[in-house]
Amino acid sequence: MGLRSLVLGFSIALIGMHGWVPVAVGQDVSTAGITDLFAQANLALQRGDYQAAIPALEEVVKRTAGIEHVEGKQTCQTCRFQLARAYYQVGSTAAGLEVIEAYLESEPRNKEALMLRMQAQGYFETEEWEKVQTAAERLLGLVKLTSEDTYNGNLLLGQALFRLERWSECLDPLGVAAKSATDERTRNLCNIMSVRALVEAENWSRLFGLVPQLYRTDAKYDITLNLTLMRAGKARYEAEDYLNALLLYRMVLPRNSLLDFTDKKIAGLQQKLDADKRVGIQSSAVATRQAEIDGLVESKSVLVDLPAYEDEVTFRIGQIYAEIKRYWEGFVLFDKLYRQDRSSEIGEAAMLQSVLVLYDVKEIARAEERIVTYLNEQPDGQYARTLLSLKMRDNLVKQEFGDVVAMKSNMDMIPESSDLDENALQADLHYMMAFGLFQNRDYADAEAEFSAILSGFENSIHFNDARYYRGMTRMLQAKYAEALSDFEGYRELNSSGEHTAAALFRMGVCRFGLEEIDAAEAFFSEFIATYPEDILVSEAYSMRGDIEASKQSTVEDPNPLDRAVADYRKGINTATAPLQSSYAAFQAAKVYKLEGRWEDIIELMNYYLDRWEELANISEATFWLGQAQIEMGEIDEAVDAYVNTIERFGNDLQQEGVDKIILELKRVAERLMENEEIEFLADRVRSMGEDLGSSQPVLQLRLRSLESMLNGTQLAFGKILIEDGVALAELSPVGLALVCDAAVESAPEKVTEISSYFMASYEESELLWKAYRARAVLLQQAGSLDELMGVIEEAQGLFGADPYMDWAQLMKAEAQAEMADYEGAEESYNMILGVAEWRGATYAKAMIGLGNCRLQQDELEKAHSFFQRVYLLFKGYDDGLWAAKGYLAAAQTLETLGREDEARSTLQAMLDDSYTQSHRLASEARERLERL
Amino acid sequence: MKNFLRIGLVLVLMVASKVEAAPLSAELVMSGGRTWRGTLLKRDGEWVEFSTGVSARPIRLGASTIEKINYDVELNLDRLLELKENREFDQLISSLNEVLKPFEPYGDIPSNLTRYRALLMELYFLTEEFDQTLTYAKQIEADAGDDGEAVENAQTYQALALIESGRSDEADALMSRLGWLDDLGEDSDPKQLFLGAKLMSVKKDFNRAMELVAYVIAFNSQNTEWMQPAELFCAEVYTELGMYESAEEVIRQIELLYPNTPEYDKSIILKEKVMEMRALQALEQNS
Repeated sequence: MGLRSLVLGFSIALIGMHGWVPVAVGQDVSTAGITDLFAQANLALQRGDYQAAIPALEEVVKRTAGIEHVEGKQTCQTCRFQLARAYYQVGSTAAGLEVIEAYLESEPRNKEALMLRMQAQGYFETEEWEKVQTAAERLLGLVKLTSEDTYNGNLLLGQALFRLERWSECLDPLGVAAKSATDERTRNLCNIMSVRALVEAENWSRLFGLVPQLYRTDAKYDITLNLTLMRAGKARYEAEDYLNALLLYRMVLPRNSLLDFTDKKIAGLQQKLDADKRVGIQSSAVATRQAEIDGLVESKSVLVDLPAYEDEVTFRIGQIYAEIKRYWEGFVLFDKLYRQDRSSEIGEAAMLQSVLVLYDVKEIARAEERIVTYLNEQPDGQYARTLLSLKMRDNLVKQEFGDVVAMKSNMDMIPESSDLDENALQADLHYMMAFGLFQNRDYADAEAEFSAILSGFENSIHFNDARYYRGMTRMLQAKYAEALSDFEGYRELNSSGEHTAAALFRMGVCRFGLEEIDAAEAFFSEFIATYPEDILVSEAYSMRGDIEASKQSTVEDPNPLDRAVADYRKGINTATAPLQSSYAAFQAAKVYKLEGRWEDIIELMNYYLDRWEELANISEATFWLGQAQIEMGEIDEAVDAYVNTIERFGNDLQQEGVDKIILELKRVAERLMENEEIEFLADRVRSMGEDLGSSQPVLQLRLRSLESMLNGTQLAFGKILIEDGVALAELSPVGLALVCDAAVESAPEKVTEISSYFMASYEESELLWKAYRARAVLLQQAGSLDELMGVIEEAQGLFGADPYMDWAQLMKAEAQAEMADYEGAEESYNMILGVAEWRGATYAKAMIGLGNCRLQQDELEKAHSFFQRVYLLFKGYDDGLWAAKGYLAAAQTLETLGREDEARSTLQAMLDDSYTQSHRLASEARERLERL
Repeated sequence: MKNFLRIGLVLVLMVASKVEAAPLSAELVMSGGRTWRGTLLKRDGEWVEFSTGVSARPIRLGASTIEKINYDVELNLDRLLELKENREFDQLISSLNEVLKPFEPYGDIPSNLTRYRALLMELYFLTEEFDQTLTYAKQIEADAGDDGEAVENAQTYQALALIESGRSDEADALMSRLGWLDDLGEDSDPKQLFLGAKLMSVKKDFNRAMELVAYVIAFNSQNTEWMQPAELFCAEVYTELGMYESAEEVIRQIELLYPNTPEYDKSIILKEKVMEMRALQALEQNS
């Protein structure tokens, strides 16, 4: 920038030389006298012909330079002054500066201030900033300065220091100049330089004091100022100085505001200049004002040429706000860009940022809405992975696994990429999806997602973990061999990985699942020895305890149960979570029960309760304590403890021990209590329920269930629950079991709903078989035999041949017979006969079934033989029902064989048999006898 | 009290004592635009006694026939505003009330005292005397006539006072009537955004409050009138939301940008509150 545009020009003054007479210009200066030379110079200066004045003035200076007397010196200095000015006027600044140097080194210096200004101005033009500084400082050091000198001195000094990048030092002189400036343009320039200097000096407090002042004036529309602030903001942002970057950025006005204002200003200035020119103003004034207009036009062109910055600035400000945790300010800025054009690059980026911020401020619904909109519009968009990742992660954290899984379709629409970052993100998606599926118990699909990582993303940070977790999904699908392979693979590649220890434990579980019991035991032992502090060690002890408990006692190994109990106790001791300890404690109790070590159970449970206090499964522990007390004859104490425990924990659906207690109370009542005692207990239970009023609904229902079980009215109670429309969510397994039984009879249309709820809510319940049975009965009635077989298989998979599971095997056999699979049916019936717990009526049913199978195959003799065994062996069951059925079936078979006498004898034997003669089926025997 | 302030108040009081010397010199603007210059002598119920100086006997005018009274008041409003800047609000209120006391009998008639009443309204708001703020705001709204700026200013303070005194339903009704809650967004008037945000805050919808005040801050950063209160409010709401780091960040900016302002003073108090809350939070986490 030229000096002329910055510094006020000074008026031209003629040399005041009294008595001098002007002579013709052009006379040879070397021969002219000094008086003539003066006159010649004066005349030229009057005409404004500075070039013509120079030779005369040079000659005078030359002649007077050596003069020592005062007047001579004065003359010399006066002419130097005029000579310097003349040089400046003709553009010979360098020559002028030499003269000024000489002037300033000589005496007298009446025009010292002016000459110093000229000197500074001259060096300014040649951009010799240090010399400008020196001259300006010398000027400002003079006494009795005029305000104009002070102003110009500070202006020059400030600019020189600014150019020398002495940021802090330039501020004061620029400040003085800005305050003293009479024209707005110079004032603005000073302020803008000050802003820049403050930015460079990082003097933020002073900057943020100055800028608001500027923003109360039209200076805020200055394009250079705005560009300065924007660039400074960018620099601070890149230096991660976010606070100052923000404050700088947010002072930048939109381009249109700046251009509108500048256009108006240019038009106004031009109009005024044109008008003034018509009136007539000095050419120097015209030049100055035109320069101002040109400067504005130039700054405008800079802005026009600048690529669009508003959106970028808006985006950056948004980023800064978000970075410094002023999330909402960030959000509204991103939101603006998003709504403005969400398909543009910056709009898309703003959308992503806005979503991030919405998550930060917990506006999850809005964030998800935006994500869904984006994914619907651009399923393969550049941010699809990132957004999916955000939504999935959030839902995983919130344990909303169904929502995670629901995003699978979006995930599948994203095309493959060769970009490393995108691949890393894609692996993340697979990993999170796998966990969503895993938690949703969809282990097969979870396995597929982990496999996708293992097959396609070997550089992913999840690669190793994916192998371990795939092993988990396989293990949970009972694919033990494949799971084992994954766990082994993980351990081979990760000798000290996060899951190295756990993988060894899981290997033991897999071996167990593969029924390689010795190998499993070896793994658990290795695990216990290698990782004694691991959080899984308690489970390892319990698993090994289970193995020991399953061993038969032999001569060589007479006490496997002792080792089992020892392991369980260690399981309790090393447990890091109540659940681990509970498992070990209750498994140990089962072992003690096998050996009838009731005191040990009491000791063990007390130990367990002491260790975990309120965190213990108190209801189940009480169940075990009660069992032991009952066996030791302390029935009243046990019943008291049971009732108290029901009262204390009965309203908590998760306390499944309460249900065990209820069932145990029913068993105790049936086995050991007199009718009066049972009635007393039922009354006690009822009055407890009445005391509760309408509070504690779960406890209420448990108490009513128990009461009905004690009174033998459970079926009726189940029907009442259905009729009353009691919410399933308020029923514990005991209540649900009653409802299942009742629904089969009174509300078959509800069986599916009830059984499904039961199965989904209490998969560990020992009463869950009731749900399966209800469902099976319904399928049997509907003739849906294939489905029925599926349900039975599932039920048997869970409950095996437990005493109450005879119905499943019977139904299976009956279904097979109905499907004409007599071989299968007979096999199933024969299996019943191999289960000691099913002796009695179930055996009788199986025998009849076997007989029927033979009948269907026209093997009447063999059929008769089965029927015969029924009435011979099972007279005493179900009031003679099975014997009666056996007689009738046997007689019918004999009749078919044409052995009518034997048939009559059989029927007569039935009527003579004290077990069957009064049975309701006896009338059928009589009718047949009459017919025969 | 600083010396210059003391001098300022004395000057104000001196002017006031001049005004107190009733009768009051004034110009009455009557219906149809006629004006009478003279002296207000006294108020007698619905009647105003006025002397034009032309006749010896004063005339009696019905108060309702006077459209406006232009008193010859010589208060230096700029000086008052300067004193306000120095935040000696109670002193200023007291002085202004003294000054305006002689005009009280005619307070129901619109006058050129609106700008002084507006200042009092603002001062009462700053000293959290919201009932007084409302009284003045309603009077100004009724009196200001065509002076749209004064009316809007009075309505603004009405809304603010209602919000600050927890009368959110009334504030809601007022702002809805004025259309100040319609389609609030980035292009809305910063005042409406600010008031909307305050209203949402009283209604405990802090996220919406934050969104509205964020519009003020993000899109009106050069607006010196609303930025300061908006930033303070922003810090307050972040505190309410338990977002202490965010609140502290805003407070840092207030300290840097608005030293020597009421917002600065309040931000210092808020800063201490945030520190306390943080300490409590840490205590809870540790326990």
